[in-house]
Amino acid sequence: MKFALIGNPSVGKSLIFNQLTGLGVEVSNYPGTTVELQRGNTCFQREIVELVDLPGVYSLDGNSDEEGLVRRFLEQQDVDAVIVVANATRLERNLYLLLQVAEYGLPMVVVLNMADEAAKRGLEIDPGPIHDLLGVEVILTAASQGKNIDRIIPAALAASRPSAVEIPYDHHIEAAIRSLGKMFGADRKESVRALLGFGDNPELLEAARTISDEIEARHRMTVTQIIAANRHNFAHKIADLTLREEVQLPQTDPDSILTRIIPGMPILLGILIGMLLFVFVVGSFLEEMIVEFFDVYAMQPFVALGLPPLAEELGVSILIALQAGLGIAFPYVFLFYIIISILEDSGYMTRAAFLADNAMHRVGMHGGAVIPFTLAFGCNVPAIMSIRLLRSRRERIIASFLVTMVPCSARTVIIAGIVASFVGIAAAFSVYAIVFLLILITGLVLSRVTPGERFGMIMEMVPLRWPDPKLVMKKSWARLSEFLFIAMPLLLAGSIVLGLLDFFGVMTIFEEFVEPYTMALLGLPGYAATALIFGILRKEMAFETLAILADTADLGAVLTSLQLYIFAVVTVLFVPCLATITVLLREVGSRITLAITVYTVTLGLLIGGLIHYLFS
Amino acid sequence: MLPSTFEDYLEAILTITENGGRAATLDEIAAALDTGKEAAGTTVAALVEGGYLERADGGAVRLTGQGLSVASQVARKHRVLQCFLTEMLGVDEDAASKEACTLEHGISDETIDRLSSYMDGAQSPPGRMGRCRGRDCTLLDCKEGDTVRVAMMHGQRRHRRLLDLGIFPGEIVQIRRKLPNESVVVRVKGCDIAISPEIARAIVVESCP
Repeated sequence: MKFALIGNPSVGKSLIFNQLTGLGVEVSNYPGTTVELQRGNTCFQREIVELVDLPGVYSLDGNSDEEGLVRRFLEQQDVDAVIVVANATRLERNLYLLLQVAEYGLPMVVVLNMADEAAKRGLEIDPGPIHDLLGVEVILTAASQGKNIDRIIPAALAASRPSAVEIPYDHHIEAAIRSLGKMFGADRKESVRALLGFGDNPELLEAARTISDEIEARHRMTVTQIIAANRHNFAHKIADLTLREEVQLPQTDPDSILTRIIPGMPILLGILIGMLLFVFVVGSFLEEMIVEFFDVYAMQPFVALGLPPLAEELGVSILIALQAGLGIAFPYVFLFYIIISILEDSGYMTRAAFLADNAMHRVGMHGGAVIPFTLAFGCNVPAIMSIRLLRSRRERIIASFLVTMVPCSARTVIIAGIVASFVGIAAAFSVYAIVFLLILITGLVLSRVTPGERFGMIMEMVPLRWPDPKLVMKKSWARLSEFLFIAMPLLLAGSIVLGLLDFFGVMTIFEEFVEPYTMALLGLPGYAATALIFGILRKEMAFETLAILADTADLGAVLTSLQLYIFAVVTVLFVPCLATITVLLREVGSRITLAITVYTVTLGLLIGGLIHYLFS
Repeated sequence: MLPSTFEDYLEAILTITENGGRAATLDEIAAALDTGKEAAGTTVAALVEGGYLERADGGAVRLTGQGLSVASQVARKHRVLQCFLTEMLGVDEDAASKEACTLEHGISDETIDRLSSYMDGAQSPPGRMGRCRGRDCTLLDCKEGDTVRVAMMHGQRRHRRLLDLGIFPGEIVQIRRKLPNESVVVRVKGCDIAISPEIARAIVVESCP
């Protein structure tokens, strides 16, 4: 048996899915999209039941990735029943999707979740009208307390008949449905979908288009608008029958604080900066511990083994890769994901996006982009992973460029370790100033040249609630393992290749080869180029490698202030690290990743060269 | 009364010279009326002779006091007629401008005065809000706390999600929050929806009965 959960975003669908399934949930991406699809199993009376958690959507007729996915999923009719989860406190809007699903003609069960919250607001729910009008089982649940969740699976197993509902449409639409039915033998559902422009029969679609043009000319509304309005009105009628408002209880409205400029903006800044500081402090502490642990318990004992040189080089390369991977994964990626999941699940994210919307417009994105940008200061990897929150490909491309340029904590280490300690604090801040200026310019240019439609923000402010700690950890863990799975192999391969090149002396030849160029262009010795290349593995390694190659930790003694400054600027701008490149490949594809890499390398060399040219 | 061609010339010169502030060259006049330079020269010469125009430096001409009063009169007739055609009759703006160009020559001063005062006194069409004269009211013209009805939505193919969230013509929405940067939050069907300014601008609203 196979059931699918479907519902609006944040109706407690994931919580129900989580309570129904145990361990062994598989998060997979739907082919060709970045939309997550969760699958899990549950046992009922010794029978295995497969559950699919479809992404939250508002409608089946929209053009977003998620809506397309759910539509295709339902069209395949690959499930035995659908479980529609609706939020009882926002019933009317939720019924709109429910009616659309009902029209698909699959056996279904309706779950009215958050019944406890509705009761708290003085709403009395009578499931009778929905049951009678749609002819389906209706269950009242409170997922946060686990109430009635156990009734869902038995009801789904018992559901065998599709809903018998017929949404009353405007008489022009009804006439169109009748004539399409006569001409092509299409049933009601097919005709409605053809009028909306969906389906695979070209003749039917053509006829439907002609009819809708005619209807459009007569009404002042499009067919899409009329159908949506009819469904909403029917939903309104059902909601009226289902809900009885006893007394309007006074409600505290946190949005009166959160979405005003004052104090909303300071709160937003406080949360963003606090999040950054927290991950920065705790993350770098943990990273240091992991790196230290590796050095003492893996690296040193391994070197002490005294293996043949080639084997030793290989082993060290592998250890370095593991160290780099785990050193980013646990402290930064995991911590960030925990915080992001909390912000997402609590509903604050939508408030943040609303407040930041206008500022983000200037660089070609909308409010949601505030999250990747803040994340990027800690680590580019989770930042790039979070750009999938953005709606259009255009925005994702712009964001991926800008995010990779934001100085992450590793690059901050370089700025602090090289510029602040050997050149001066003011110089360190000037590096930040240069980078921010370049980000701004890049954003302004990209927002003009990037192809694709500009989408504004149309976003539901989801109700604020306490996030479920178990769900937060589960989500973060799933995303972390996803990261390790992609990034680790590449890190290993990259590290081994670099180690072998070094071992066979290719690096020395390379240094001799590039020295004239680096001297001429940047005024840097050849070994600085090697350090830059090692920085691709892990940005801090550029600093460490430079110290090793220069044979002293007192870099000020071997390189001039200008050389150190240029080295830091180039490293900060130069290619994103390997882990970032791997997630970029995943999120935006190889072409954009290549473009970003080429752009950042060029930019780094160009700015470095410019500084060299101007000041020496 | 002057022939309509003459009136057209004076009106065009008024526009070119920004209400008679400067002189207009023959080239500009010919271009504005979409005619040959020679034909323009002949008519301009006739107007100079009639005392409506005077010669200025470099072959340019300038409106005399008499010319200015005729030109302003014609321009006003054009404005009033175009306004009537677009605002009251709903004629397309370009078409209205062309028609006004023809009508302005035959209509008497008194009729124009009466038409103008009729429009001033006329009640706004039902539902239109007083706040935005002469154009459609959008969500951006509303204040926090206003409750309005959606009248029309532009560009709704791109804004499909508005429909799915329950914002469609005929629906009543309440403005919950409006930031100084014009992002708005509206409450519809018990849910709060945040909308960017450029989308809010495409939602035409009218006041609730």
